[in-house]
Amino acid sequence: MSEENSESIIESSIKRKYKLQAKDVKVWYGDFMAINNVSMDIKANKVTAFIGPSGCGKSTFLRLFNRMNDYVDDFKMGGDINIDGKDIYDKNINVELLRKQVGMVFQKPNPFPKSIFENVAYGLKIQGLKDKAFLEERVESSLKQVALWDEVKNDLNKSALALSGGQQQRLCIARTLAVEPSIILMDEPTSALDPISTAKIEELIYKLKDKYTIVIVTHNMQQASRISDNTAFFYLGELIEYDKTNKIFTNPEKKQTENYITGRFG
Amino acid sequence: MLNLEDHREILNQSGLEMFQLVRKQFIKSKDAFLTHDSDLAEEVLHNENRVNGMDLKLDRECERFIALHNPVAGDLRFVLALRKINFDLERIGDHAYGISSYIIEVDTPVKQEVLDKLEFEKMYKAALSMLDDIRDAYKTGNTKKARKVFKKDKVLNKINLNSFAVISEEVQKDPKLIDQYLLLFSVIKKIERVGDLITNIGEEIIFYLEAEVLKHRKKKGPSKPGM
Amino acid sequence: MNNIRKNRLKDQAFKIWGIFCTLLGLVLLAIFIGNILIDGILRIDWAFIVNLPSRHAEESGIYTALMGSIWVLLLTTLIALPVGIAAAIYLEEYSKKNKLSTILEVNISNLAGVPSIIYGLLGLEVFVRILEMGASVLAGSCTLALLILPIVIVSTREAIKAVPKSIRDASFAMGASKWQTVYHQLLPASFGGILTGIILALSRAVGETAPLIVIGALAYVPFAPSSPMDEFSVLPIQIFNWITRPQHGFVENAAAAIIILLLITFVMNGIAVYFRNKWQKKFK
Repeated sequence: MSEENSESIIESSIKRKYKLQAKDVKVWYGDFMAINNVSMDIKANKVTAFIGPSGCGKSTFLRLFNRMNDYVDDFKMGGDINIDGKDIYDKNINVELLRKQVGMVFQKPNPFPKSIFENVAYGLKIQGLKDKAFLEERVESSLKQVALWDEVKNDLNKSALALSGGQQQRLCIARTLAVEPSIILMDEPTSALDPISTAKIEELIYKLKDKYTIVIVTHNMQQASRISDNTAFFYLGELIEYDKTNKIFTNPEKKQTENYITGRFG
Repeated sequence: MLNLEDHREILNQSGLEMFQLVRKQFIKSKDAFLTHDSDLAEEVLHNENRVNGMDLKLDRECERFIALHNPVAGDLRFVLALRKINFDLERIGDHAYGISSYIIEVDTPVKQEVLDKLEFEKMYKAALSMLDDIRDAYKTGNTKKARKVFKKDKVLNKINLNSFAVISEEVQKDPKLIDQYLLLFSVIKKIERVGDLITNIGEEIIFYLEAEVLKHRKKKGPSKPGM
Repeated sequence: MNNIRKNRLKDQAFKIWGIFCTLLGLVLLAIFIGNILIDGILRIDWAFIVNLPSRHAEESGIYTALMGSIWVLLLTTLIALPVGIAAAIYLEEYSKKNKLSTILEVNISNLAGVPSIIYGLLGLEVFVRILEMGASVLAGSCTLALLILPIVIVSTREAIKAVPKSIRDASFAMGASKWQTVYHQLLPASFGGILTGIILALSRAVGETAPLIVIGALAYVPFAPSSPMDEFSVLPIQIFNWITRPQHGFVENAAAAIIILLLITFVMNGIAVYFRNKWQKKFK
C-alpha cells in the first residue's frame, strides 16, 4: 500500500510539473491510424510548436487536447491525455467545462456573424453570465489584450465580418481569452493572413505566454523558430523529435528532422 | 533562383578554390624565401588581387545564401563556418604576400646556416602539411584530419619560441646584419601566425561538422580509438 | 477555320433557342395574366372584398373565402413551423449519419412529391373522422401542414447546412453544447433561409384546393370562421365554385378572385426573394 502511495506521489508531482501530458497516444479514423504512439509533456507558460509536413497528424494531435476530434465520425483514441494531471477522456469529464479551460483558435478566422461585442461575450453568455457591466468589462479587457480595443472601441456593435482578416483573427483570440482559459491551442493561426497581420499576431502570442500555455501548429518553419520555446516534429503520425527550439534549428538529433527543416523534403 | 543544394555546392566549390589559391600563394612565398627568388616573390604580389577578389566573391555569396534561403541547422553552420574560414584564408594569403614583399625589399639572401639554426625548413614543412590537412578536412568532411593540426601547431609554436634566443645570439655576433635578422624574425612570426589561422580554420570545420564549439578551449589532438 | 465558324454558329443557335424558351414561358404567363386582368380587374373594389358570397354575382364577395384562407394560412404556419424546424434540426445536427438516416432523408424528399389529394384523404380519415375535428379550419390546417412539412424540413435543412462548419467549430470550441450552438448560432444565421422556405411553402399552401375539398371545406359558406373548429372555405375553392356557374357575372368574379389570389402569391414570393437576398449578403 505504501509503495503504491509513494509511486503516485512521484507521478503526481511530475503531473503537476507539466501542464499537458500525452502518454502512448494513438488515434484511429476508422482503419486509418492517424497518430501512432506519441508521448509528450508540455510545460506551463511556454509556447510549443508542432511542425511537420501536411497530413502528418499534428492538427489531429492538437485537437485531442480540447476533444474537438469527438465530432469526427469513426474517431477512436487510445492512451492518456492529461491536463493538470487529470485524464480528460475520463467518462466523468464535462467536455464543455474542458473547453472553457482550453481555448482554440482556428486557421481561417471564424468570427460569428454577429457584432464584435456579441462575439467576445459569447463564451460568457453561454455560461449564463448576464450581468451587463461584467460583460462589458470582460469584453474591453479581452480586446485590450489583443490590441484591438483602440481600433473598435467606438463601435462594438459593428458586425465582426466587417473587420479585416487580421483583425478578425485577433477578435477570435479575444473571444477565446474572454473566458479566461489556461491553455490556448492554435491551429495554423496566421496561414490565412498577410505578413503584417502575421507579425502582429506573433507579437501577441509572445505577450500571452506569460499568462497562458500556448500550443501552436504551424507550416511556417520560420514562425516556429521565431516564437516557440520548444518544437515537436511530427511525421506520418509519429513524433520524431521534441526538444528546445534552439536545439532543433541549430543541431537536431535526427536526420529526418534536419532534412525537413532545411527543406530537403516535405 | 538557385535551389538550396545547388547553391550550397557553389559555395563549397568557391571555398575549395580559395583554399587552392591561398595554398599556392603560401608555397610560392615559401619557395621564394628559401631560394631568395625575387621573380617568384613578384608573382605572389601579383596574385594578391585574385585572392582579394575571391575573398569578396565568397563573402557576397555567403550573404546571398543566408538572405535567400534562411538556412538552419547544418546549412546554417556551414555558411557561418565558411565565412570565418574565408576570412582566415585571406589572412594567410596576406602573410604570404607580406613575406614575399620582404624578399623584394631586402636584397641580400640569408646565410643557409642561420636558416638551419632557426629550423626554417622544418617550420615551413609543418605549416604546409597543416594546410594540406585542413584542405583535405574541408574537402572530405573529415574531422579527424581537422584535429591533426592542433598537435602540429605545437611544432610551430616551439620553433617560434626558440627563434628569439637564436636571433639575439646571431645579432650579437654580427650586428651589421641586424636588418636581415629582424626580417627573419618577422617571417617566423608570420609563419607562426599562419599556423594559428590554420587551427582557427580547424575549429570552424569541427563546428560545422559536429556542432561542437572549440573556441577558447584547451585543444586535444585526434581522439584515440575507443574513446 | 471551318471549326471556328461552326462553333460560332452553334453558339448563336443556342443563344436564340435559349431566348425562345425563356420567352415562351414568360409570354404564356403574360397572356394568362393579361387575360385575367382584362376579365376581372374592373370587378375589384372594396365591396368585392368585404361582401359575403351570394346567389347574385354582383353582390358576391370573397370575404368568407379570404378570411378562410388567412385563418388556414396562419394556423398551418403555427403547426408546420415548429414541427418542421425541429425535425430539420434533429436530422441535420443530432442524428447519426447512418443507413437509417439516409432512408429517412430520401423518404422525406419523396413526401414532397406525393399528390396533394392523398394528403386530403389522409386528413379526412385521421383529422376529420378519427380525431373528430370535423370539417374545420383546424382539420384543414393540419392537413395542409402535413402537405408542406417536407418542404419546410428540406429548406430548413438546406439553410442550416449552409452555415459554415467553421461557425460550429468555433461555437463548440468555446464550450457551447449542441443545443446552445443551434439556438445561438445556427438558427439566427439560417433565419433568412428558413423564412424563405416557409414563405415558399405557404405560398403553395394558399393555392391548394383538392385536399381541402376532400376534407370537406364547403363551397358555399356564408360566414367567416371565428374559431378553429368552424367550417370554412378558401379562395381557390371559391374560385372553383364560381367558374362552374354559367352566369357571366360569376366568370368576372372568378377572374377577380384569381387576381387577388395571384397578388397574394406574388407578394409572398417577393418577400421570400427579398429575404433570401438579404440572407445571402450576410455571408459575403
